[in-house]
Amino acid sequence: MTRRGFLAQVAAAQLAGAQTHFTPKAKRVIYLFQSGAPSQLELFDYKPRLKEMAGQELPDSVRQGQRLTGMTATQTTFPLVPSKFAFARRGQSGAWVSELMPHVAKVADKLCFLKSMHTEAINHDPAVTFFQTGFQLAGRPSIGSWLAYGLGTENQDLPAFVVMISQGTGNVSDQPLYDRLWGSGFLPTKYQGVKFRSQGDPVLFLKDPEGVSKPGRRTYLDDLAELNRMRLAETGDPETATRVAQYEMAFKMQSSVPELTDLSKEPASTFERYGPESRTPGSFAANCLLARRLAERGVRFIQLFHRGWDQHNHLPGQIVNQCRDTDQGTAALIADLEERGLLEDTLLVWGGEFGRTVYCQGKLTAEDYGRDHHPRCFTVFLAGAGVKAGLSHGETDDFSYNIVKDPVHVHDLHATMLHLLGVDHTKLTYKFQGRHFRLTDVHGRVVREVLA
Amino acid sequence: MFWLIAVTAWGEGVEFNRSVRPVLSDKCWSCHGADAAAKGIKLRLDQAEAVRGAGEKILDRITTANRARRMPPVHTGAALSAGETAVLKQWVEAGLPWEKHWAYLPPARKPALSIDGIVRARLEREGLKAAPRAGRETLLRRLSLDLTGLAPTLEELDREESYEASVDRMLASPRFAERMAARWLDVARYADTNGYQTDGERQMWRWRDWVIESFDRNKPFDQFVVEQMAGDLMPGAGLEQRMATGFQRNHRGNGEGGIIAEEYLAEYAADRVETMGTVFLGSTIGCARCHNHKYDPFTQKDFYRLFAYFHNIGERGRYFKYGNTPPFEMAPTPGQRKELDAIEEKIRAAESRLKPGEARGRLDWKPERDLVSREKIGPSYTDRFSIAARVRMSGASGEILAKTVPGEDPMGFGFGWKQGRIYIHLVQRWLDDAIRVESERVFADGASHAVAMVYDGSKLAVGLQLYVDGKPEKLRVLVDELNQDFQVKEPVRTGGEDVRFYGRRIEPLEVEFLAGTATGAAARRRQYLETVERGAWAEVVKLRREREELMDRIPTVMVMRETGEPKQAHVLIRGAYDRKGEAVEPGIPESLGPMPAGLPGNRLGLARWLVSHENPLLARVTVNRLWQALFGVGLVKTSEDFGSQGEWPAQMELLDWLAVEFMESGWDVKKLLKTIVMSETYRQSSAVSAEMLQRDPENRLLGRMTRLRMDAGQVRDHALAVSGLLVEKVGGPSVKPYQPAGLWKELSGGADYVMDQGEGLYRRSLYTFWKRTAPPPTMANFDAAGRETCVVRENRTNTPLQALNLMNDVTFLEASRKLAERMMDEREGLARGFRMVTSRRPSAAEMVVIERALARYREEYQRDPAAARNLLAHGDSKRNEGTDVVELAARTMVASLLLNLDEGITRE
Repeated sequence: MTRRGFLAQVAAAQLAGAQTHFTPKAKRVIYLFQSGAPSQLELFDYKPRLKEMAGQELPDSVRQGQRLTGMTATQTTFPLVPSKFAFARRGQSGAWVSELMPHVAKVADKLCFLKSMHTEAINHDPAVTFFQTGFQLAGRPSIGSWLAYGLGTENQDLPAFVVMISQGTGNVSDQPLYDRLWGSGFLPTKYQGVKFRSQGDPVLFLKDPEGVSKPGRRTYLDDLAELNRMRLAETGDPETATRVAQYEMAFKMQSSVPELTDLSKEPASTFERYGPESRTPGSFAANCLLARRLAERGVRFIQLFHRGWDQHNHLPGQIVNQCRDTDQGTAALIADLEERGLLEDTLLVWGGEFGRTVYCQGKLTAEDYGRDHHPRCFTVFLAGAGVKAGLSHGETDDFSYNIVKDPVHVHDLHATMLHLLGVDHTKLTYKFQGRHFRLTDVHGRVVREVLA
Repeated sequence: MFWLIAVTAWGEGVEFNRSVRPVLSDKCWSCHGADAAAKGIKLRLDQAEAVRGAGEKILDRITTANRARRMPPVHTGAALSAGETAVLKQWVEAGLPWEKHWAYLPPARKPALSIDGIVRARLEREGLKAAPRAGRETLLRRLSLDLTGLAPTLEELDREESYEASVDRMLASPRFAERMAARWLDVARYADTNGYQTDGERQMWRWRDWVIESFDRNKPFDQFVVEQMAGDLMPGAGLEQRMATGFQRNHRGNGEGGIIAEEYLAEYAADRVETMGTVFLGSTIGCARCHNHKYDPFTQKDFYRLFAYFHNIGERGRYFKYGNTPPFEMAPTPGQRKELDAIEEKIRAAESRLKPGEARGRLDWKPERDLVSREKIGPSYTDRFSIAARVRMSGASGEILAKTVPGEDPMGFGFGWKQGRIYIHLVQRWLDDAIRVESERVFADGASHAVAMVYDGSKLAVGLQLYVDGKPEKLRVLVDELNQDFQVKEPVRTGGEDVRFYGRRIEPLEVEFLAGTATGAAARRRQYLETVERGAWAEVVKLRREREELMDRIPTVMVMRETGEPKQAHVLIRGAYDRKGEAVEPGIPESLGPMPAGLPGNRLGLARWLVSHENPLLARVTVNRLWQALFGVGLVKTSEDFGSQGEWPAQMELLDWLAVEFMESGWDVKKLLKTIVMSETYRQSSAVSAEMLQRDPENRLLGRMTRLRMDAGQVRDHALAVSGLLVEKVGGPSVKPYQPAGLWKELSGGADYVMDQGEGLYRRSLYTFWKRTAPPPTMANFDAAGRETCVVRENRTNTPLQALNLMNDVTFLEASRKLAERMMDEREGLARGFRMVTSRRPSAAEMVVIERALARYREEYQRDPAAARNLLAHGDSKRNEGTDVVELAARTMVASLLLNLDEGITRE
């Protein structure tokens, strides 16, 4: 090992001992990723002037010749379309939330809206990959992997990084997800996210197979350890000792994971709070409830993905369904965390990979419209540890097309997330291919304006 | 780790490269390197001339007490340690001596030396001794796992065979080729799917089989490289050579709707450059895509000169979501080639039986065959079909045959006319997922014509033909981006007279008959055949159909194929596809040049340079990767980076010795591997003392063998092999073994994984279907590379998920049951099973534990025979009904225990 390699390892090891660069506000993250890209125009970015301009062409002065996706670039017309849904100011803070999200509206004062998010990618695969790994192409570690690597775990019986997936009822043939979104990229594989599943074993191969009893498994592990230790005495290879420990950890997971995913002891009031859907395994609401249980157990990074937000056509109908899937669970999770005193050291993030266009994709009718991908502005909200509750940060123009104030880039969001976790985003590095890689590449600015 | 930095005194010739260069590279060059100008920085510290005279300035800036002036600046986080400052001081005091980076100097060796000579001398200098030779069985297991991927069988363990004879036997085995290929698949980012978004299936397994065959035949490595880089351009290139270029089409391909084609065209060419850089040059050339390389001598212009070799194959930026994207070609297997030859022979024979002769009289034959009834019309985008009709084009528009949803710009397929032009529409999404073509000619209102269209199922506009009055009609292509099916649940509408739909391509002659324009000898001959020679002609038709069916089954493989038209390459400013800078011509990086005279200016020239002695990197990088495969860590640990930021070689002399040996042998892979495995260095024991472990944790001094966990594929293959389930068949389409249900579906909502039955469950893991966005879980758990990008370094972790996988996955449960069936006899069974799994006999103490375990399981299953039956029900293979259920279940648990042993999945 070279000196540099050695020093880099020491640096990583220091951080891995959960020593942060400065005092963290957040101990963990719950990321409610809305895959497919929710329309900011229907949910949070209220644009009253659009009503008067409905059906008019998107002015060139607004578009400024910027690129569009291949799906609409050759459209002959780009008619402006206002949201069909009513907006109102909510809570003390007066944040705008549309009628589609009545439950979220009730917790608006707990939220910090970033209304000026922007990204570089214009298509789903690169855009989601960018949000989860800081790079549009495959091969980099996901946020959760960086944190598992940098901060380690607080619970020896559960993985540091857990992923859960749900399918929305909006666009049912929506964009797929990819294992790389929780992959470890060039970091060692042990830092990758562990997917908790709603069908079969919650963790792959978790359950003892039919025909193996619990006491049988225990003696099996004891025998295995005994045999492994005999070999260890011969070879002196510490990997063997590690393997014995990993089998013990696996055994613990066999009880800790089912205990975690077993919702039968939750009182009826919990399901009332999270909504009837929360009784359906694999629903977004059920995953929100599990997210709370994971947070209670000290899991570092809890990543939810909810698919179905890609409303190219039939937006009004589809988005109603998407919001019904997610609204109550999201709001319940925030309130629940707060009630349990967990919101103060949990950072919650809600948002998709880009926004949607103000102009209509496809045929505009009195009842129906669609919106294409729009990377130039969209809304993400944060809640919890260290963020200013009740703040709306950043502004877009009258068309929700360009940002006019306080842009926040994906790298900035990442830098801010790491900052809240006590990590300097320029210092959490891993050397690969001769470079000290970071989640934020060579970019990123902590958005201090939103810090409490 | 300390021996490398222990020597800091200036003296031996290598000190600059070994001590100073790493400090400059890591702490200074990101600002004062090749990209300095871009940051407005004048002082460069990466060139001998630039540094000259800057000594005092350097000293001052790195030692000043003034924090604001001190280098490196605090904000970079790149502070110098005391040791590093001392190194730089000594360097300045010694007069700033400079050396070219070691990796760019040609490898040289002292011929008298050997692997062992070099390693032992080094150990002696460190005051260490080599470990003793490993025991015979350990060694045979090591050799067998390293060379064939599989552990030795009991028969092999007991065979009277010299070590060298074992080496030769293994190198000659087809298992060796599979083992080598498995690693090459990671390097080449091989997969069975396209990798972006929908991640639909592609077909590249013929390329994979080409790799296996190349290793089997011990193709010289230089030829192996040239064929993959530029097989298509080699003089007299055959299918084998063209197929080899699939290496460069293994990258991911994006078929997502709405992507910007230009952006991905740039991405694909860049991927080829980066992969070539990593695999063949051990260089991070990809860093120069957006700016000059900060550490190594590669400019951004260099990157785009390489790019220029790879960007002109006429591919589309938007790949097909499903299937291969052009350019691709038919690649029959040798078996299919034979079948094809046989059918063609039969066709010739059948044709020769047709009597020469002509019918006289009226031409009234019509091609009625294959007419599809109206209810059944509903072709998919990969079907061949044809439509013929007579129409009178009156009015602004009309339909001849259409099956679309109602409304404007509809989804579906349509054949009709509009504004006097005949159109063909195959539409999923009107603007960007469709083929839309129309006749160049504008027909007069009310004109009456016989029209026909033919589609070949290729998803391409060139696969469409239009005929008017029996003659081909010129088409204008409006959109050529069909990527998904256009089938809709709508009734068929027709508008012409005598509208016919065929579920095949009709021939030009048939079109002529339909149009009533057929005349001449060809037509009369055809009519004669159809009527007079009916029987013999039917035979010809049948055989031709058979040939077509065979052709449909023949796999294709994506390849490189130059368009032949020059295409100017440009530097892309900041790497952005839409910001073209200076025009560039193909060429190698200047720092590695010049290109030897006489090489062609295309990819073939690049390939020939790669394998030439003018390139100092290929041999080093390759032997290093082979070394890594055997010892776990390369002689250069950073096997992907031989540049300034890479690791200084732990054993430079050995690296160069091997590199020269390899080149001088004519790039003989088997010979090189034999040389290594015959060495005493390779044959050492892997047992390690605590003291030695602390001194040399990663075994960089080679004072022992490294003990390594098997790689992902080996873990599974080993279980299949010892249980007798393994199907040892080489090559063929990828297979789908066990995988928990729902893994594909939960990510995409689309189709789920459909498991194979029978032999597909038990093939070696290199044949497992690889879906990039949801790789096979056992492979992922055991650290297999993801195949999204080129990966050359191995990675081994030790996790609870691996434990769960080995204990509970049906693959390993079934293997345990089948292994148990092989260890049923009372006296020897347990020990035999142990030996099959570990390649050694258990000790008495180990036997005590194993026998105790068996007794306990036996007791447990006697109490609960239902549990025993449940345990034996895992897996598709049949259980040996002759065995006692309780006993077999108890021994199945013991077999599982053995397969879970650390040693069971380890090569010592």
